[in-house]
Amino acid sequence: MRRSRFAAVAAVALTASLALAGCGRDSGGGQDEAKTVAEGKASGEITVWAMGTEGEKLAEFAKEFSVENPDAKVNVTPVPWDAAHQKIASAIAAKQTPDVSMIGTTWQGEFAKTGALDPTPPDLIKKDDFFPGAWDTTIVDDTSYGVPWYVETRGIFYRKDLATAAGFPDGPKTWDDLTAMATKMKANGVREGFHLQPGKTGSWQSVMPFAWSNGAEGVTADKLSFDSPEMTEALAYYQSFFKSGLSAKDLPDGALEPDFVSGKIGAFISGPWHIGLLEEKGGAGFDQKFAVAPMPTKKTGTSFIGGSNLAVFKDAKNRDAGWKFVQWLSKPDVQVKWYQAVKDLPAVQSAWDDSTLSGDPFLKVFGKQLEDAKAPPAIPTWEQIAASFDLEVEKLCKSNVDAATTAKTIQQKATAIGTGS
Amino acid sequence: MTSAPVAPAPVRPVGTTPDRPAGSIRRRQRLRRALTGWAFSAPYTILFLVFMAVPVVISLVMSFTDLRSTDLRNPFAVNFVGLDNYTRLFSDDLFLRSSLNTLVFVVIGVPLTIVLALAAATALNSGLLRFRGLFRVGFYLPVVTSIVAVAVVWRFLLDPEVGLVNNLLRVVGVDGPNWLFDTKLALPSLIVMAAWRNFGFLMVVFLAGLQAVPADLYEAATLDGANRWQQFRNVTLPMLRPTLLFGGVVTGIGYLQFFEEPFVMTQGGPLSSTLSVSYHIYNQFGFGNYGYAAAGSYVLFVAIVALSVIQFRFLGERK
Repeated sequence: MRRSRFAAVAAVALTASLALAGCGRDSGGGQDEAKTVAEGKASGEITVWAMGTEGEKLAEFAKEFSVENPDAKVNVTPVPWDAAHQKIASAIAAKQTPDVSMIGTTWQGEFAKTGALDPTPPDLIKKDDFFPGAWDTTIVDDTSYGVPWYVETRGIFYRKDLATAAGFPDGPKTWDDLTAMATKMKANGVREGFHLQPGKTGSWQSVMPFAWSNGAEGVTADKLSFDSPEMTEALAYYQSFFKSGLSAKDLPDGALEPDFVSGKIGAFISGPWHIGLLEEKGGAGFDQKFAVAPMPTKKTGTSFIGGSNLAVFKDAKNRDAGWKFVQWLSKPDVQVKWYQAVKDLPAVQSAWDDSTLSGDPFLKVFGKQLEDAKAPPAIPTWEQIAASFDLEVEKLCKSNVDAATTAKTIQQKATAIGTGS
Repeated sequence: MTSAPVAPAPVRPVGTTPDRPAGSIRRRQRLRRALTGWAFSAPYTILFLVFMAVPVVISLVMSFTDLRSTDLRNPFAVNFVGLDNYTRLFSDDLFLRSSLNTLVFVVIGVPLTIVLALAAATALNSGLLRFRGLFRVGFYLPVVTSIVAVAVVWRFLLDPEVGLVNNLLRVVGVDGPNWLFDTKLALPSLIVMAAWRNFGFLMVVFLAGLQAVPADLYEAATLDGANRWQQFRNVTLPMLRPTLLFGGVVTGIGYLQFFEEPFVMTQGGPLSSTLSVSYHIYNQFGFGNYGYAAAGSYVLFVAIVALSVIQFRFLGERK
């Protein structure tokens, strides 16, 4: 009895405080002015959170920063990717943030909208140094809230021998080429001419490049247009590979690489991490057997750009030094060294002039592709829209839904979710 | 404070306060007893309030607001939306789909698990099986094995090309389906897996229940000419009623919240055919729709209470 009375009292107190304090939300952030950063060398302790491999390697790498800035000390906390979103969210709620954190590009909108991120100081970080597609992922309500750290993009991996036999020794150049090549490969006995992801998590990253290449917008910061004719056409093109059996609907996890190595799959769409994976699976000499082509063109040959950004928090204890550290990480020569340390592709364009990157035949393709690569705008609801998108794409690939219906359903679901502004 | 001596004063330990009128003493004693009581229960009470009651109340309040992850820095500046979240839930086709999936999972899974557990417990109890200890361990092992390990093994078993299940089917000339990628078979596959994974626990409970049935009841039944099946129907089952109720309620609560199986095996697919209510709520929390997800949790909570009440009605003590 006592207990329930206590609960009731607590409930009343809480409801009251909520009701008193909660007279609706204000119009929201976005009117932030970027503040300047003090001159001179960085000093003091800088706490940095980073995920995955970056989290493991950054502490060692940052020692060089301390050599240049003897009064500054960088403390890196590695955070596992699974826990990262929750950890940053909790830190924001408790106002106990680090100075700098790595932020997944698709989280940028959500975290910027909380008002926890510090706008990028333009006197320190120059927008034009970065790939435009990467820079756009930091923009929320026309203000930049971060700096692209590393990038990745998608291209077409294909087997040179099979492509040559199919009459496309240099890989597909256009949409028609891609279909023709896959069809011919299939006729030559390849099980899947061109493997595409049949829906499920992240499939939008394979679908949207085709949509963008066809001139479809899909989503902008304030408008959803998934039901345009261009979008429908791109979805129909994506679906055509499943309809004609050029792409399988149920490839088990982990079967892609061995099947590509053994020649059961002729081509697929993926990012730079697959270079290493394939070289490892294929053994010695396999790197001569496959090549990467840029996204085939329709109106354009636009690809998807992913990666991670770095952001400084408003609640940072050492904001100025944090920004200086971010600026240091964005220097072209540091970006090249960072690539050598962890294989993260530089987000800074001029870093690609270095022979380490421009001399690699695979990377050269991705470097070129990055100049024409896009990401969805940083809106807080993107992850949710993407989940609906993936679900509808799964229906499109697996159960022969009409592409126009899919486009309409995506638009309807996305509209119900909204852009979160 | 000097005292007027009253009657023969009892020997008092040194240091206690002098006498006072009887009522005041009793009040003081009661107060002290209460204080002592509260002091002893304070650690629990405080922990309970801070870590249980307050979060529960907050989440309930949250379910009536439009709190999103973008409000983290300013959680009090949200709008109260009344029952909006709840009405939206029931027009959300994914929520409806996941409710249906969960219902199927519970309605088929709970009886299946109980029957399996009862069969195994009876077999072990009646001495039909040799190597009882071995079987008991074997049946119980899945319960204590990590779901991730179980999932990996089952994915191998159910693999359409190299899986054991389809290879066995091939022996008898049947071309097995792609279990986890078929919209009609994915959920049944998960139900079978869950039943296999969980029946060991109930088996142990039922075994204890069976051993508590007095042997003379069976003796009497045998004298009356009841065969084994009749004994099971008329002696074992009625005597096991409380144990069955416990098993049903515990399994029902667990299965209504089913999450791990689709999370590690199918990610809710194909085409949402294995999406459960818990999984849907988990996704909504992930999308940052805290208010909406909290509302979903309370709907699930009400469903769990309702299921338990129904089971108590059907299996509970009859007066």
